[in-house]
Amino acid sequence: MNVTWNWLKEFTPCLYSPEELAHRLTMAGLEVEGLRKFGEGLDSVIVARLESVDPHPDAERLTLCRVDTGTERLQIVCGAKNHKTGDLVALAQVGSVLPGDFKIKKSKIRGCESQGMLCSEKELGLAEESAGILILPPDAPVGRPVFEALGLKDVRFEIGLTPNRSDCLSVLGIAREVAALGGQTLRFSPPRAATGEGDIRAFTSVEVHEPGHCPRYAARLIRGIAIGPSPAWLARRLESVGLRSINNVVDVTNYVMMELGQPLHAFDFNLLRGRRIVVRRAAAGELFTTLDGKQHTLEADDLMICDGVGAVALAGVMGGENSEIRPETCDVLLESAYFNPMTVRRTSKRLGIHTEASHRFERGVDIDMTPVALERATRLILETAGGTAAQGRIDVFGAPPERPPVTISTARCNAILGVTLKAERIRELLSSIGLSVTPGGDLSDDMWRVAIPSWRHDLEREIDLIEEVARLHGYDEIPATLPGCGVDSWLIPEAANRVARIRQALTAAGFSEVVNYSFVSPGCWDKIRLAADDSRRRAVPLLNPLAEDQSVMRTTLVPSMLEVLARNLSYRCRDLRLFELRPVFSPRSTVGKGNAALERLSLCLALCGRRAPEGWAQSNEPVDFFDLKGAVENLIELFGLGNVCFVPDGGEPFLHPGKSALLKNGERVLGFLGEVHPQVLGRFDIELPVLICELDLEALWNAPTEARKFRPLSRFPNVQRDTALVVNLEVSAQAVMETVHGVGSRYFEEAVLFDLYGGPGIPEGKKSLAIRVRYRSDEKTLTDDEVNGFHQRIVEALVKRLGAVIR
Amino acid sequence: MEAFGFHYSFWLTVGDNYMKLQLEEILAEGRALIAGADSESSLNDLRVQYLGKKGHLTAVMKTMAELSPAERPAFGKRVNEAKAALEELLDQRFREVRALELEKRLANERLDVTLPGRRLPQGTLHPITLVTEEVTRIFSTLGFGIVEGPEIENDYYNFEALNMPRNHPARDMQDTFYVSDDVVLRTHTSPVQIRTMLQHRPPLKVIAPGTVYRRDSDLTHSPMFHQVEGFLVDRQVTFGDLKGTLKTFLNRFFGRELGVRFRPSFFPFTEPSAEVDIACVICRGKGCRVCKDSGWLEILGCGMIDPEVFKAVGYDPAVVTGYAFGMGLERLCMLKNGINDLRLFFENDIRFLRQF
Repeated sequence: MNVTWNWLKEFTPCLYSPEELAHRLTMAGLEVEGLRKFGEGLDSVIVARLESVDPHPDAERLTLCRVDTGTERLQIVCGAKNHKTGDLVALAQVGSVLPGDFKIKKSKIRGCESQGMLCSEKELGLAEESAGILILPPDAPVGRPVFEALGLKDVRFEIGLTPNRSDCLSVLGIAREVAALGGQTLRFSPPRAATGEGDIRAFTSVEVHEPGHCPRYAARLIRGIAIGPSPAWLARRLESVGLRSINNVVDVTNYVMMELGQPLHAFDFNLLRGRRIVVRRAAAGELFTTLDGKQHTLEADDLMICDGVGAVALAGVMGGENSEIRPETCDVLLESAYFNPMTVRRTSKRLGIHTEASHRFERGVDIDMTPVALERATRLILETAGGTAAQGRIDVFGAPPERPPVTISTARCNAILGVTLKAERIRELLSSIGLSVTPGGDLSDDMWRVAIPSWRHDLEREIDLIEEVARLHGYDEIPATLPGCGVDSWLIPEAANRVARIRQALTAAGFSEVVNYSFVSPGCWDKIRLAADDSRRRAVPLLNPLAEDQSVMRTTLVPSMLEVLARNLSYRCRDLRLFELRPVFSPRSTVGKGNAALERLSLCLALCGRRAPEGWAQSNEPVDFFDLKGAVENLIELFGLGNVCFVPDGGEPFLHPGKSALLKNGERVLGFLGEVHPQVLGRFDIELPVLICELDLEALWNAPTEARKFRPLSRFPNVQRDTALVVNLEVSAQAVMETVHGVGSRYFEEAVLFDLYGGPGIPEGKKSLAIRVRYRSDEKTLTDDEVNGFHQRIVEALVKRLGAVIR
Repeated sequence: MEAFGFHYSFWLTVGDNYMKLQLEEILAEGRALIAGADSESSLNDLRVQYLGKKGHLTAVMKTMAELSPAERPAFGKRVNEAKAALEELLDQRFREVRALELEKRLANERLDVTLPGRRLPQGTLHPITLVTEEVTRIFSTLGFGIVEGPEIENDYYNFEALNMPRNHPARDMQDTFYVSDDVVLRTHTSPVQIRTMLQHRPPLKVIAPGTVYRRDSDLTHSPMFHQVEGFLVDRQVTFGDLKGTLKTFLNRFFGRELGVRFRPSFFPFTEPSAEVDIACVICRGKGCRVCKDSGWLEILGCGMIDPEVFKAVGYDPAVVTGYAFGMGLERLCMLKNGINDLRLFFENDIRFLRQF
């Protein structure tokens, strides 16, 4: 909502500077988001008379003007077409700085000197758009600053209103607040009704079929008007608050709307078939063309203003093309009505039409203002467009809506705000904005009874009044305290602790966290080769996504992670260790109470590039499957999970079939890990191997854990034995280690697979493994003989069960 | 050396001239050689050469037979003294040489310590995680617990129970992603308030961090972002308590006392409602581009929980009061770390992530 200083001053004296007023309005809940000073620093733009206008000798579209400033004669090159000899114009003298930091210098344009610039309204910051330069009224004083001479100096306040303050969608409403802030009274008296000839009821009628949707409908008829441009003051007023001037009649309706907050509509009376108005609901499927030329299909809920035959306006939203004011219009039916906010909102929202009128109606206008605004507009139309009003007005108005008074208790108010205001102070504050405050009727003087005026739709309950008290008293005046109540601090949820531990472990292991949007493209399932029946294709879709590639909620973190890798690789960042720990979503299979969808925390890890940070002392080896597996094993250990295993041939379609595994606890799948399938990498334009894994954290946390139990430490040294063995390629490391562990020995401490070799010296189809076994006793230092005996049993088991050949 | 000189001259007065001269030469030569030796092995050689079974002093001792029996004890004593003196010299030189050798070795082992260290890969947490953790930590110290809620939310929890019925203009304040007529991506963390109040009885003092969604995407809006909701419900909670809690939080979060102002505003689920501004952290209130020359930055929304919300969860607004607040974590993070572009949070450029 924009208002100007000059306009406000018509209703209240302003005691403050514009900056101070802006601050006070902001602190009273009317946030001034912008302050614009018209004419500030533009005193060097003066009124000048065009003495001659000749074609530029060297440019067809330019003119060479001689202007008289009262003290000197200057030559100006001008690009406009709307000026002629004798016109008074706004001359920006050399040295002026126009809005937008546009400095005026002496210059040569196509060989002709130009000693200044003739300005348009746009260049002076007076209008958003302008055609041609500003031609001033013939009585403007030559040589005087333009803004001062024409009273154009003004300040615009751009106020961001919250939706509850519909009362401030008018200059009057904001003036009411300004007056309250300065302890002034509002100066406003409703205009007297314009007199006229011939009773309006003899010419037209209004029938309201839907009083629920249209509680009040008032109209006046003005005949014999002449449509034309608005007078300068009217056009200027509208432009000063950011509206465009259209013609005198339309401008008046807009002016009164801005001034009093009541949207008005003017119909061309002669285009109303049957010369009458009927307010009714639309027929479903009915077509209607609004005055912006767009056709809409109506529904039975839409409230229409109709003439004797059909619709002429979408009630409270926009008029129809079929009855709009045209240059040749001579008779006008002026509408001022109150429409049900919900009705207007439904139609405006469904049809996607948001207008200044619908904005006000759907927030609620002042129902008592209906006739006032009508009379104000009638008078202004008679003033600016001539004509004669018909006598009287039609005002279809049932019972005024009931606005029961609201009581406010001083004690309650103080208890909620944490202040100690006296009852009298509360009365003062509430009275300052035009509320009528009377004693509450009970014996104590704690209560006030407050009558709610018709313009305040947001005041219905005691708490609403308490807010007004707080706002007018000033939030800054309320002392800051710390709550004294004793509340047991809740424990941090276990999941949050676990997540924090995972994050800590992963950053320590070199992984950096990424956060991607939760919505992805439905095409990403194909991109990662998910089978047609893969459950991950059943994603929660959005009804109104911003874009197709953000239209479904992700069921796996893999596609987003691959995109992040690809993006970083495109910037030549090649050594990447990333993780994402966020929920994935899936539709609920059954309808019922509880959450609307399933959300499970998922963890995705990805690796590519070099294993170690680049450096003079580090190897350049690339990461492989086992870097990823190691990270996963660390996580398993972090949570003390027992009985989990890596099952080869995981079968994830986006992984390399030979370099991937499922992580399982019994039959339950906890996640997968592996190298990304080359075909998938190609689709993401990734040119180096990528390792990726995704773990279902809730499944992981639900897997059985091994209790951590203390084992006493032996005081004796261990003894170790290394054995290298050659086995068939198919024999898995797991089989070897299980065999070693399976032998069992009282003194067995641990076994490590410390070498793997295949190649020259090892027969085709075989590989060489080296294991190191450590033995230790709690009671003594083991002798070589003892250890040899134990170790021999392990070696024999390897030979016997796995066909190993000892090297 | 001084002590040795004394013994030597004393001995000259009693010994046989010839032998005296011979011993003197041996000692002088030995002394010079020892002093000149620069390795442990050469000192070992000298020890053998002078003190060994076939060494010079042993040879001198053997010539004692040529002396008269009366002279022998004195001479023998002198030879032994010479032997001891040489031994001591040798030991001393040994220590010196060892120290020199160690010094030399250490000098040879000198590293260029300006070479970069051998780093292990080190990961970083996303700035949103870091700021969430920090906010959570501060509120924990103020006695707040933590609760969470779903991101795909029922319309009822996200809007209706928060005093935003369908067709209410306040719904325009938040552009909503719909999953179905009744299901939305939560537009704020406030539904967690409703869920928590339905599950528990007051007093309640919790915060709820989480991901939220709004259908808006431009330079200053991301369709997905993060918030922290906080609320306190008890008897006799006041607007002053809300001011105190948030001032304390903001001062701790930004690490200094900074200007904080509460400005009336509107939210359907709080009344009175306020927007909180802090003195611009860039220009410290003087006015700059970031604060649009106002000197203030809007940082969060808050208010006293509306009685309608209490009614929706079955609390009696005549008995309990409460406050609630919500703030955008990206904004907090941007202000604290001087990040100038919201989109960076979700582009996941490793060069950005590594800065935190």
